[in-house]
Amino acid sequence: MDSIGLIREFLKERLGVEPDAVTPEAVLSDQGVDSLMMLELIFEFEDRFGIKLSPDLKTPNSVGEMITLMDGLIATQKS
Amino acid sequence: MSQRRVAITGLGLVSPYGGDLDDYFARLCAGESAVRHLLTDDLPRPLSIPFVSCPAFDPEAVLGKPLASMMDRFAQLGMAAAFAAWDNAGLPRTTDGEARTTWGCAWGTALGGTLAYEKGYRELWQKGRERLSPLAVILGMNNAANAHISIQLGLGGVSMSHTVACASSAIAIGEAFRRVRSGEATVMVTGGSDVPQAYGVARAWEALRVMAPGDAESSPRACRPFSADRRGLVLGEGGAALVLEDWAHAEARGASILGEIVGYGTSCDHSHLVRPEAAGQVRALRDTLADAGLTADDIDYINAHGTATSEGDPVEVAALKQVFGERAAQLPVSATKSMHGHLLGAAGAIEAITTVLALREQRIPPTAHLESLDPACTGVEHITHSRAQPLRAALSNSFAFGGSNAVLAFRAVPA
Repeated sequence: MDSIGLIREFLKERLGVEPDAVTPEAVLSDQGVDSLMMLELIFEFEDRFGIKLSPDLKTPNSVGEMITLMDGLIATQKS
Repeated sequence: MSQRRVAITGLGLVSPYGGDLDDYFARLCAGESAVRHLLTDDLPRPLSIPFVSCPAFDPEAVLGKPLASMMDRFAQLGMAAAFAAWDNAGLPRTTDGEARTTWGCAWGTALGGTLAYEKGYRELWQKGRERLSPLAVILGMNNAANAHISIQLGLGGVSMSHTVACASSAIAIGEAFRRVRSGEATVMVTGGSDVPQAYGVARAWEALRVMAPGDAESSPRACRPFSADRRGLVLGEGGAALVLEDWAHAEARGASILGEIVGYGTSCDHSHLVRPEAAGQVRALRDTLADAGLTADDIDYINAHGTATSEGDPVEVAALKQVFGERAAQLPVSATKSMHGHLLGAAGAIEAITTVLALREQRIPPTAHLESLDPACTGVEHITHSRAQPLRAALSNSFAFGGSNAVLAFRAVPA
């Protein structure tokens, strides 16, 4: 699954957000992702892709920032 | 500061029968047991015990997905009960800018988030995972239920949890009552919730040899308080909540007052962890009557602790005989745990609600399955079939492991 697919699945499963509403421009906090949910989302991401994020990671604000972050880390992991 | 009268303006519960308060009380009065056989798929050996579940409870439907996913089941049951009590009290969930800084929550739970921690252990030890979800902490903490209740209802005053085994929610209700009576709090949401089906918890209770046995056919009759053939207690999950309110505040907003809480007494046997002692219970009963300004002659019904253990039931009857003297023989007593089971940290709350409903409906619910009274439990009037009669005031007993005793006194309010 790609990054946006994982974010959509997570938001649907945890918060009941419809996948259509999860666009790159959407602000994560508007969709109910508070700091705790962000930790949980990062945890799920680490688990799925088998990577470990740096603890001083800059928290993404939008779905698009989250995708960029995830894709970058997956690419680094593979190279 | 002058003492306030304390009104009960809201009652709410997650009923094991699946219906509302009226349905709950009608089924109790009909002697209908909610006990069923529970068979789990736990490893290495499944639980196979009589148990009371709330199968109709759908946390996502009641709480919404985002809120439900931030809670363990004990907090979900507690939040759902608190919402129900709040709606019953006719209070809006959002504040409209009103500062609820003297409104609080006192919650009872014996086990708290044990189920959440147990899930973590399974992940680590059975599934070989090396780490846990970051939500595990906030799911498992014992004060999760009261914290969520205070957030959802905008309560800015005290928010606390009480863990006193089987007396947890009776003590929570008593402490909440004192805060409203003293004027410290205007409104208190109180009650309790627990989920004793945690594998390690249920197995531990089995090991103590106090749990009644039962299969699919015999489980509904497994809990038989005061009966000569009683075999022990039946655990259950649940959540039950009350809204306690400064009487003048309730009247000023035109609230329906469902009952009055008038007294609370608590004591410790200070002698043994699990063997109850009449002397400690007698002190709690007498302190409650004195606190309420009532005498033994004013009490028309006792909702007993009555768990159906061999040791507990006769000691409770002995305590009642000491306090009520010659009148004990005419004192109506029933143990509704025979039907709703023992909810541990929620037991005092579901029984407080039962007692308030008895006063409101002027009807005593029975002890179910009591056909052959144990000679060691004679000397009070055991109600084995529901009976309508004038009820002025009633007591609800909660006597916990550890020797902690709590008694609550309630008075009927003319409808």
